[in-house]
Amino acid sequence: MAKKVGIVGAAVTPFKGRWYEKTYYELAQMATREAVKDAAISIKDVDAAFYSIYNDIFERTCIPEHPLHGIIGMQHKPGIRISCGGATGAYTISAAHAYLAGERFKIVLVLGVEKATDCFDFLSMSATPEVIKAIAWSGDSFFEQKLGWSASDSYAEVVLGYMDEHPGDLKPEVTAQISSQLSKQARTNPYAQRQFDQVTPEEVMNSRYIVYPFKELEICVYSEGAAALILAEEETAKAMAKNSGKPIVWITGLGEANEHSFAGKNQKDMSRIMSGHLASHRAYDMAGIEDPVKAIQVVELHDAFVHELEITLAEFGLVPLGRADSLIEEGIMLPGGRLLVSPSGGLIYCGHAVGASNIMSAWSARKELIERNLRTAMVHGTGSTVAQYMACQILEHE
Amino acid sequence: MAEKKQKVIPDEYIPEVASRVVTIEGSDYLVENDAMYTFYERSMGEFSPFFLAIRDEKKILGCKCTKCGIVRVPPMLTHCPDCDFAPTQPVEVGQVGRMNTTPPITYFATSLFLHIAPYGRGRVILEGADTAMSVNLYTTTGILVPGLIKKGTEVKVIFKGERVGEITDIFCVPTSELTPDQITKKGLEESELNWATPKEPVFPKASEEDIAIYKQSLKEMQALAAEMSKSKRARKAIEGWKRDIAVKTKAGEFAMCINDGDFSIEERRLGSPDFVMACEDPKTLLDGLSYKGAITDSVIMKKLWISKNMEFNTIFKLDRLARFLAREKKEAAKQ
Ligand SMILES: [Zn+2]
Repeated sequence: MAKKVGIVGAAVTPFKGRWYEKTYYELAQMATREAVKDAAISIKDVDAAFYSIYNDIFERTCIPEHPLHGIIGMQHKPGIRISCGGATGAYTISAAHAYLAGERFKIVLVLGVEKATDCFDFLSMSATPEVIKAIAWSGDSFFEQKLGWSASDSYAEVVLGYMDEHPGDLKPEVTAQISSQLSKQARTNPYAQRQFDQVTPEEVMNSRYIVYPFKELEICVYSEGAAALILAEEETAKAMAKNSGKPIVWITGLGEANEHSFAGKNQKDMSRIMSGHLASHRAYDMAGIEDPVKAIQVVELHDAFVHELEITLAEFGLVPLGRADSLIEEGIMLPGGRLLVSPSGGLIYCGHAVGASNIMSAWSARKELIERNLRTAMVHGTGSTVAQYMACQILEHE
Repeated sequence: MAEKKQKVIPDEYIPEVASRVVTIEGSDYLVENDAMYTFYERSMGEFSPFFLAIRDEKKILGCKCTKCGIVRVPPMLTHCPDCDFAPTQPVEVGQVGRMNTTPPITYFATSLFLHIAPYGRGRVILEGADTAMSVNLYTTTGILVPGLIKKGTEVKVIFKGERVGEITDIFCVPTSELTPDQITKKGLEESELNWATPKEPVFPKASEEDIAIYKQSLKEMQALAAEMSKSKRARKAIEGWKRDIAVKTKAGEFAMCINDGDFSIEERRLGSPDFVMACEDPKTLLDGLSYKGAITDSVIMKKLWISKNMEFNTIFKLDRLARFLAREKKEAAKQ
């Protein structure tokens, strides 16, 4: 029988559009310092580090985790870096969980960090085109990169594929309201990049197209920042919780799935995010959740695009496929609704520091469970081309 | 269409060796121009027949599984993963196909593709194939707008005149824009299509009322421009950017000048503008600058014409300028 694993400490640095003041070395150490403080332990008590760093090009080095190991006080201990596109953070949590459940370690650090906006395009004199270029090197290099593949255009393919099958769903008025709602939620998150950037649905509707059908205020912003979790196996977690006085949030379910990179017969079905359906239902099975609509109270999503947020919640079985607009039209995610969706403001308003993003989501979900005294939350990461990768975790507060 | 570049990394992308100091809350931080680059002499390996067939024979190849018969295009593999790795054989497929799903259109591209935006990329299932191939999509009628190519739209593979053995040697256009002969012809080339040339729109004569609207709009735009030039936040949107734009409307022509944070609108004719904008109603531009609807959308919806497609990038900066000023005003109003 695998050991139970819980979150006993968590921290994030502020997510910012640009951290001129710090390199990713210092951001990583900042999050680590705060996480061990939150868990009320010494870094010396930590058995291993699991690094969540997405893109070598952002950090401008290969093996970006190697300089961090000594800096965060982990010399002579094991360190593993996970890199799974946008799903890097969620997959890193899965990997760390497996080592603890398999009794290889008692306490581990999950450390996500990313420094995206050092990239700069000197031709347009702005960062964003170069940031998205750095990501666009992840498109298939033989057949797709040279066509102008980008993260936005590949997720737009999935969204448009869904809209082909469900033409009445993902209405522009609804995606605009969701974005507006997320912006309001970021207001109470002091670490959010856009804490004070509240927008109205009209402003979202009036914002320019980036990639059809995505408008500027329906897309995540690129951030720099770090986030860290301290995970421990059952007995150690209980002892630590007694010492820190903080309740344990258990990771009771995990699921992962990766689809085919290319579309067509026996390959990716562009109208679905099957990775999301499979990963979430594997996580529900492990957690013993029969009816996710009843069980899940908080979802911290990897919501890089509002439309993708909607489809993902449908694939998770939290709203019907083809009726994701019920999130707004039936008030499901509005104040007083049954589901708290991305209370941190999500990737669109808290920000998207890729390797740190899903770790930030877990930090936020844990905080919400404890502060609001709720029972069950869900965290997820999606990544690679056409929403190919997915990892989900179910978090439960005793 | 993507222009052919002589260098693997075109010179204009490469910054000078330089650094600057950014001061935040009294502390100085050193910021250096830098790059991480690697050159390749890369083999196309098992994909070589596919790229050579495009380059030399204007043919599209796929691979067919000897066991289940599935035809994959492009030919991604030599053995079928669905049939315990039974071998596949090369087959030629058709040059007409249907869109697997509605394709996205990119307006805001990565730095490598800014000069070709807006562009469509989608997946086509060619006749005889079971899987979808990514292609760039164009219309011979001008800028690709949403709704023109959808799931199921029939498209045709077009070959460029100069081919180098890359996926960009081909692209697709809707067959509805082609003659029956062009649709059936194999190896149809770009030069055989009837491309609409971008023509500056001609406006009807302005009425007294049009002139009054023009004068009023110009005044309002000039007031906005003055505010933008004073706003620290708005200035950031056009930092390091320089453009002199001739703006033509039904009732008059004026100059819009961007100069590293400074933004001005003056009633004068520019001798040699960087590019020309034309919109019948000056309010289109006024609304955009007042952050009531994006100027980008006006270009997409053909309410505003620009003489150079690559100046889409400047249009983005103008939208940003409008948004930054609007946000600054909104925040000031809250305090
Ligand atoms: Zn087969």
